Amino acid sequence: MDASLISLCVGSLIIVVLGGLVQVSFGAFTMTIEEAWRAVFDPAVVLNPDVWQVFLLGGELPDLGKRTLIVWNIRLPRVFVAILVGANLSVSGAIFQAITRNELASPFVLGVSSGAGLLILLTLVVFSGLSLFLPILAALGGMLAFLLVYLIAWKNGTSPVRLVLAGVIVGTVFQSLQTGLFFFIDDIGVVQSAIQWTTGSLTGTDWEQVRMALPWSITAVSLALISSRQLNVLLLGEQTARSLGMSIEKVRFLLSGVAVIAAAASIAVAGIVGFVGLVVPHVVRNVVGSDYKRLVVGCVFTGPALMVAADVGARLALSPVQLPVGIVTGLIGGPYFLYLMRKQQNLGEV
Amino acid sequence: MSELKPEERDMTDEHLAESLLADETNERTTGSERPDSALTGSELSLSYPTSEEPVVECDRIDVPSGEITALVGPNGSGKSTLLKSLAKQLEPDAGRVYLDGKAIDKYDDKAFACELGLLSQQHDSPTSLSVEDLVYHGRYPHRGFFEQTSEEDHAAVERAIDLAGVEHIRDKQVGNLSGGQRQLAWIAMVLAQDTDVLLLDEPTTYLDLHHQLRVLETVRELNEERGVTVAVVLHDIAQAARFADYLVAMQDGELYDWGPPREVVTEELLADVFRVEAAVNYTPDPEIIPKHSL
Repeated sequence: MDASLISLCVGSLIIVVLGGLVQVSFGAFTMTIEEAWRAVFDPAVVLNPDVWQVFLLGGELPDLGKRTLIVWNIRLPRVFVAILVGANLSVSGAIFQAITRNELASPFVLGVSSGAGLLILLTLVVFSGLSLFLPILAALGGMLAFLLVYLIAWKNGTSPVRLVLAGVIVGTVFQSLQTGLFFFIDDIGVVQSAIQWTTGSLTGTDWEQVRMALPWSITAVSLALISSRQLNVLLLGEQTARSLGMSIEKVRFLLSGVAVIAAAASIAVAGIVGFVGLVVPHVVRNVVGSDYKRLVVGCVFTGPALMVAADVGARLALSPVQLPVGIVTGLIGGPYFLYLMRKQQNLGEV
Repeated sequence: MSELKPEERDMTDEHLAESLLADETNERTTGSERPDSALTGSELSLSYPTSEEPVVECDRIDVPSGEITALVGPNGSGKSTLLKSLAKQLEPDAGRVYLDGKAIDKYDDKAFACELGLLSQQHDSPTSLSVEDLVYHGRYPHRGFFEQTSEEDHAAVERAIDLAGVEHIRDKQVGNLSGGQRQLAWIAMVLAQDTDVLLLDEPTTYLDLHHQLRVLETVRELNEERGVTVAVVLHDIAQAARFADYLVAMQDGELYDWGPPREVVTEELLADVFRVEAAVNYTPDPEIIPKHSL
């Protein structure tokens, strides 16, 4: 732990809290900021284990005040989902950047997004009876595409370049199929739904999404933290890692698996949110250096900050119209990335 | 077994291992000149996936225990390739490598890295990594997946930093070091690995004379004080002859000669292997003086 990491985490935390308070204060149901804040700290929720049990495990909520219910059951879960998605995507991107030793790697570099996107479209267009299982199918599609990429890249072992190339191949084919499927949609509502899923959106997220993503997020983030030393050794290059006795193929596959789980968990609740997983690890690395223990910790805080801030824009900027949050992450992330690139001479060094 | 012809019997691993062990015991009992080998390669044929022909073919190579062996030869003679296969980085198409009499493919990856360290020719690291953190990575094979650094790790790292003489730069970032300092930092990392056998691939190339000598002195110290077996690829044959106890001269992927420097470095070798007409004088250190321009 050092000063730069702590200030990064504290700064991110402040953004998350402020963004969260803005999110609970504004919306279709008007209440004053004071009322909203009082609802957030309503002891009937905060100190009541029964209510938390319902939130986290499901079930019937007891009677709460109207404002408390709106804040705690509609507006806050969306903030929590944003936090989970932000943390998952950034950690996943950080892992993929180490595995591929490529600064342009993101959670979706090994075909995860295109696989998920294809299954989303297939579900919406062809198998509309299965739309209830869309989140799980999307996550599953991402994982299947990842396995396919690995299979293609494998030839007596694999290498970062082979993996990235196989990812591009699978991505291109799946992307084409996905775009092709758009032509078979007659209903504009289905098109919008498809776009929301494929650009990432937090509209309508609920405690159910928190429940869905939380266990996987905790698993993936803890595994990433535990594996930070393996990631650091991977950064020394394949040859050095091997001469230090690392079973490199095994480690690489398992770490990719962790990163894919994190990405799939975020896809299941928010669709394919771009850019977070690419830009956040860069921002964090810029502040705390390349040590993965600090990097992963930094990502767990900074990812949610970007995601929550972006969702404020997505939800409130054009109110009552809600944009997919993926559009806003791109709009915030892109220029910030450009700023980093201009400012920092050695940006891009993993 | 009785139907097998002798040649076929030679092919079986068990037999090979037996004969190798038998060789060693024979040598010990008869007191022959050949010393105990820490590392032995036998009937090796090495190639890369992209090459059609074998790059190296070598009937037998010995890295004597507790001594410094230098591999010399012109560019492309297969020194680095041979070193890679000895370090379990390149699987031979045929033949086997034995470490302390045990075939290296029978070793677990980590267990092997506890016994044998390799410093590759090229290595890269994140520029913001500190020298001390780099050296700690040398402890990787000694630590379990969940293990924190132990007292033993700290001691090994301190020893390595001291031995490589990088104490004054331990907190510096690797990216801010000069080429020579960086090489010493990497050497400290393999020293922290605390192995009985150390393989170095051209550790002095691209370094200025001062850092070349520093690197070689560190290796010599390690060899003398801790009895570490060293095999090192060196470019400069005069330097190799001064520095090493044994020389392995390679030419076109084959072993040209093997032995103490005085026996190996001859005018004939220079003419055959390096295509240089030169005089060799021992004063007592070897000196190589080209007779005329190429």
